[in-house]
Amino acid sequence: MTARRLATCAVLAALALALSYIEGMLPPPAPLPGFKLGLANIVTLFALCALGGADALAILLTRVLLGAMFASGATALLFSLLGGLAALGTMRVLSRVRALSIYGVSVGGAAAHHVGQVCAAMLVLGSAAPLAYLPVLLALSPLSGALTAFVCALLLRRARGFLPPREG
Amino acid sequence: MKQFPDLKPNKADALAALAVLLLAAALGARLWTSPPGAAGAVVVSIDGAAVERVALGEWSRTYAANGYTVRVEATAGGVRVAASDCPTQDCVRTGTITRAGQSIVCLPARLVVTLTGAAEYDAVAG
Repeated sequence: MTARRLATCAVLAALALALSYIEGMLPPPAPLPGFKLGLANIVTLFALCALGGADALAILLTRVLLGAMFASGATALLFSLLGGLAALGTMRVLSRVRALSIYGVSVGGAAAHHVGQVCAAMLVLGSAAPLAYLPVLLALSPLSGALTAFVCALLLRRARGFLPPREG
Repeated sequence: MKQFPDLKPNKADALAALAVLLLAAALGARLWTSPPGAAGAVVVSIDGAAVERVALGEWSRTYAANGYTVRVEATAGGVRVAASDCPTQDCVRTGTITRAGQSIVCLPARLVVTLTGAAEYDAVAG
């Protein structure tokens, strides 16, 4: 790992941490437990496209672990971990589908993010009740996914010149 | 170098979005069309274990769960979380639920309020 790659990863992890912190202070966009716009997913998608899967995973884990230390304990950790890993895993697979643009990849990631969070809620509560929120969350994910992709596409166009080469 | 993946939306993306929407609709149809049977009783669970089953009626009860205090209020027709000192307030904003099978979730308190049918209530209360 070159110094430039390490520095890029560190900056992106800090950015993701800041975004999820800001998101925690905003009022939730819908009165649904756990519904977040997923601002930090912008960073995950950007890292996946610009740097590759391994770096995106490292950035995600750094954000999740530091986020749990800054904010609120084990429950929040489980939520962001399951949501984040599901989103990254799905986007990693979908990014191999040549027919899809960044928008399709991002919508899949947003949907997986919500599935992961609902799973976390079911684990925490020991009840299937949170499943009732999943249809609404899934229906909203094309919207939040497209928004994420839009921001990410803007960034990728601008950042093309000074990023380290993509790996993996 | 060609940017990968493509940065402009295309038809395949629209299909992906449609697939997600269809999945949402299918899941919704499956989960929300459960028999709209008359709700008869309220089950309150904390940490996944039912702590109390109470028939619907005019009452108000307070539960302490994982450091939070949640007040549940019922009428003859439904139940709601009237007040909670949890930070998210999703449980309060959910409002009143009226159909058997519906639930209110308070994630920070790990408390679930579920409505069940009257017959089910008689069976467990017996």
